[in-house]
Amino acid sequence: MGIPRRARPQLSALLLALLAAPCVVPGVAPGVAQAQLRSVELYAPRPFGYLIGDTIGHTVEIALDAPFTLDPASLPQPRSVDYWLDLREVRLDDQGVSEGVHRYRLDLVYQSFYAALEPKRLDIPAFTLSARDGDHRVSVAVPAWSFLMSPLREIVSTGQGAVMALRPDIVPRPIPTRGTTLALAASAGVALAGLLVIAWQMGWGPFGRRRARPFARAARQVRAAIGAMRHGSVSSAPSSTSLHRHAGYKQALQTLHRAFDATAGRGVFAEDLAGFFADHASFSAAETEIRHLFEASRRAFFGGDVLGAEAVFPPAELAALAGRLRAIERGSA
Amino acid sequence: MRTGRLTLISGILLLLLGLGATGYFGGRLLLDKRDNGFIAALVAGQDIATSADDPAPVIFARLFFLATRDRLEEAQPLANQLAHGEDPRLAAMALYTIGNARLRLAIDHLGVNRIDPATPLVRLAKQNYRQALVIQPDFWDAKYNLDIAMRLVRDFPQVELSGEEIPPEAAKRLWTDLPGLPRGLP
Repeated sequence: MGIPRRARPQLSALLLALLAAPCVVPGVAPGVAQAQLRSVELYAPRPFGYLIGDTIGHTVEIALDAPFTLDPASLPQPRSVDYWLDLREVRLDDQGVSEGVHRYRLDLVYQSFYAALEPKRLDIPAFTLSARDGDHRVSVAVPAWSFLMSPLREIVSTGQGAVMALRPDIVPRPIPTRGTTLALAASAGVALAGLLVIAWQMGWGPFGRRRARPFARAARQVRAAIGAMRHGSVSSAPSSTSLHRHAGYKQALQTLHRAFDATAGRGVFAEDLAGFFADHASFSAAETEIRHLFEASRRAFFGGDVLGAEAVFPPAELAALAGRLRAIERGSA
Repeated sequence: MRTGRLTLISGILLLLLGLGATGYFGGRLLLDKRDNGFIAALVAGQDIATSADDPAPVIFARLFFLATRDRLEEAQPLANQLAHGEDPRLAAMALYTIGNARLRLAIDHLGVNRIDPATPLVRLAKQNYRQALVIQPDFWDAKYNLDIAMRLVRDFPQVELSGEEIPPEAAKRLWTDLPGLPRGLP
């Protein structure tokens, strides 16, 4: 533990223990009375260089023969030991019994208030604990410890200024607000994040534009549907292939119609196209294709002539139109 | 649809949590700023009354104000309150401040040969410094001033040399009333 050992097991403590031990009770094995106290060792820090108000920590390790236990009532209590010395803390740690030896560790903290004029040797006095096993009592003597107390100031002031210049008062400092400010910023950030999540979900403000792009989504879906058509034409049986192709084509048409409906805010049919172009002039750029598209879907849905519709408006062109419409919607066409 | 609702609910929860925390910390910041205003005013010398419910730093500022103006009777209850408060640093500082006020007053008395009022002041100041050091053993300014208080008797002849006559029986009384003094001169 890095602290020099100060006192070895005290022979006097052993002798005292032997003297203090009462006679051996019949039936108790011989030897119990002889060595109830194995050792008392005091570990202390440097024995010099202490200034007024310094604390000194002592550790006492006590080893007793197994049936004996330290009497807690005999522990020193935190108190004023001398007019210049306080015992501040007393902590006993029972380390249990191993190989017939009961070990204790006693931590003591002293504080010295001696105002030395020159280095002065002082003693922390010895004290005695007691251990017992039933009626048997053994004294455990913890040795005294001496150390040098050093002065803090010179005897006759040779410095500048007043003879008894006190250290100045401590000017009150403001309450630190940095932590609270940071916490405030963080909580405002959390609130803002919550607001953004809600706005994004509800399509408010700048997120509204994201919502109002039906052709962007439609273009994606049309591409997927057309892709599925081509894929199906390779792998499926001929009869189911045509069905599959038709379903994919109709789905692609439907998707585009829904995008028109969403853009106009109501259902758009071939008859309504004039009104649609009036409201959404930018789409006039693709007027011919759009009219073709409506013609194709009229055939596909109302005439039941999907093949005819595909002839009017081939799937590849459908995908191209979807891409063009997306670009127009974005305003980049 | 379900994920959309989940997103919305988590957004609302986040917003409420953030707003609640913002309100709490904003309120605290406002109170702290107000208290810092009081502290600054007290340090600047404005006589602002405080109540026992005020935060410890404000009470310490009031204690500082009173102690630096030798209003010890008013300062003592505040020092007691801080010494038993939750903040050990402020407790040690409060004890140090009132100890300083007492020791300054005692030195003033000694400077004009008034031994009788000086003695109990020195004794109390020593107690204050000692309590401060019990709370904070590495409080160097408290160590230094405690050392001054402890040696006050030996420093006495220097005060005498600086012009004033001290009746020997007064010095003797100071000796007996200061039990914490180291015995024997070098």
